[in-house]
Amino acid sequence: MRRLSDAQFAWLLMLPGLALFGAIITYPLVSALVTGLFEQSLVRPGRLFVGLANFADVLGGDFWPVFRNTMIFTLGATVAPFVLGYALALALNAGIRGSGFLRGLFLFPWVIPGVVVSFLWLWIFNANYGVLNGILGTRFSWLGDPDTAMLAVIVTKTWASFPWMMIMLLAGLQTMPKELHEAASVDGAGTIRRFWSVTVPHMKGIAGIVFLLEFIWNFQHFDTIYVLTGGGPAGATKTFAVAVYDTAFKGFDLGHASALGGLWMLLLLILVAIYLRREKEDAR
Amino acid sequence: MTVTATRSRTTTLARPVRARRRPDVVRSRAAAWVAVGLIGLFGLAPIYWLVVTALTPDETAFSFPPSLIPTEVTLEHFVNLTKNEQLFGYLINSVIVSVITAVLSVIVSAYMANAFSKFLYRGRTSLMHLVLASQMFPQALLLITLYAVFSATGLLGSYAALVLSFTTFTLPLCVWMLKGIFDTVPSSLMEAAAIDGASRWRTLHQVALPLAAPGLVAAGLFAFVRAWNDFIFALTLADPERQTLPPGLVHTYLGEFQTAWPDLMAASFVVSLPVIAAFMFLQRYLVGGLTAGAVKG
Repeated sequence: MRRLSDAQFAWLLMLPGLALFGAIITYPLVSALVTGLFEQSLVRPGRLFVGLANFADVLGGDFWPVFRNTMIFTLGATVAPFVLGYALALALNAGIRGSGFLRGLFLFPWVIPGVVVSFLWLWIFNANYGVLNGILGTRFSWLGDPDTAMLAVIVTKTWASFPWMMIMLLAGLQTMPKELHEAASVDGAGTIRRFWSVTVPHMKGIAGIVFLLEFIWNFQHFDTIYVLTGGGPAGATKTFAVAVYDTAFKGFDLGHASALGGLWMLLLLILVAIYLRREKEDAR
Repeated sequence: MTVTATRSRTTTLARPVRARRRPDVVRSRAAAWVAVGLIGLFGLAPIYWLVVTALTPDETAFSFPPSLIPTEVTLEHFVNLTKNEQLFGYLINSVIVSVITAVLSVIVSAYMANAFSKFLYRGRTSLMHLVLASQMFPQALLLITLYAVFSATGLLGSYAALVLSFTTFTLPLCVWMLKGIFDTVPSSLMEAAAIDGASRWRTLHQVALPLAAPGLVAAGLFAFVRAWNDFIFALTLADPERQTLPPGLVHTYLGEFQTAWPDLMAASFVVSLPVIAAFMFLQRYLVGGLTAGAVKG
């Protein structure tokens, strides 16, 4: 038997993985983008070529409100955990006692399953018996009112993701040489000045990347929103993920779901391209 | 830890800046504790509430305003869980799907990571970036045609549909995690094995894989958790009899006229346990693995 070259052997090792990527990601993705050009139902066989009609329908209808909701959710659910996670990472890095134990404890909201997170906050926000209303002395339907539903969803997602921010940023802080702070301190810089002039520049790379990554994940987040509000009330929390899912699996309209999904994908690709470029620069 | 802290403080004290530095440190420690306290309240109060609700008898759980400190404690909701056969079925499904996903993920990603770590070939870097980027494709969009693919191949509704999907989604992080581990296995060891006449397969299986064993366990646990936690794919691709716990719990408890909240909180607690146990074990690898998979090139 002829001995394989290194490259041939490497491709052989990658074969099962590449086959899975092809079957579960690449083919369905390409095929979904093509489906956007057809009138196609989930429950009836056959399809009809309609060109860009689905895209035109979507852009004239669902796209903009869904885009707006997605942006509000994504920004809110990225900025808030970033700020909380950064503050907590700084605090745990300040040499307080028991910070290792606290770090483990704070991971809990992030490690418990997403559906459990949703159940828990559904119960907290419950209009009639919820503990939030109990503390505030109100009986308000936080998830049932279009004005507060998005805020409630963002709070929930923030709770579930600030620990990830904390642990990543803490890892970054721990690589910061102590001498930098000591030197700045000798030069008379106070805590706040040292934060802006030493910590922030040191953390720029990792902070930028975790922010962008969380942004990308939130841009396609599904679980929490779907269980908490199902996109309601009155479409107030309908993001791309929920809209595409509902159009395909509740409305059975694959053509429109794929067209909306194609536009969503385009926006995501821009974000991913930024991520890959940043990540390359950071590795240098 | 305490020793180093004391030592560094002594050296600081010996310096001329002593008078200015001490209150500074005290003040930033105080600020740190305030931050930990406030964020801790936000982070941990909901967990406290989950546990308290699960232990509260129905009559008190549905009184308003709820009492923040339980006056009466009961295990009836946990007992109720053991009597629910439907939930037991979801649990078995979750275990089957998560365990197979973990094993398959480790096998597939170990080979792939080895190829990324130990061999040079055209297209390697681009492929690595593509693998990294693939975890960012929207799953709701993939589902549209994946549903059709599984339907056409007769896999729709089966465990296989879930396992194949979950394994693919765990690959990016597992591959990057394991590549980092294989990078630390000295190539000289593998070369020595090759000189002794071992084939590439033998070198891989008897030299590289055993040395990477802790990393393989970590990758397997990560994959297990990913499969255990998934909601949208299990909801859509599995038959009602093959559904895992996350969609199973939604079907069991939500959408009724009056949700049995204490029962649901008890179920939530139980569903979270294996994941929490896995992460306690994973802690050591967590930061390294995540930063390798998510951040570093």
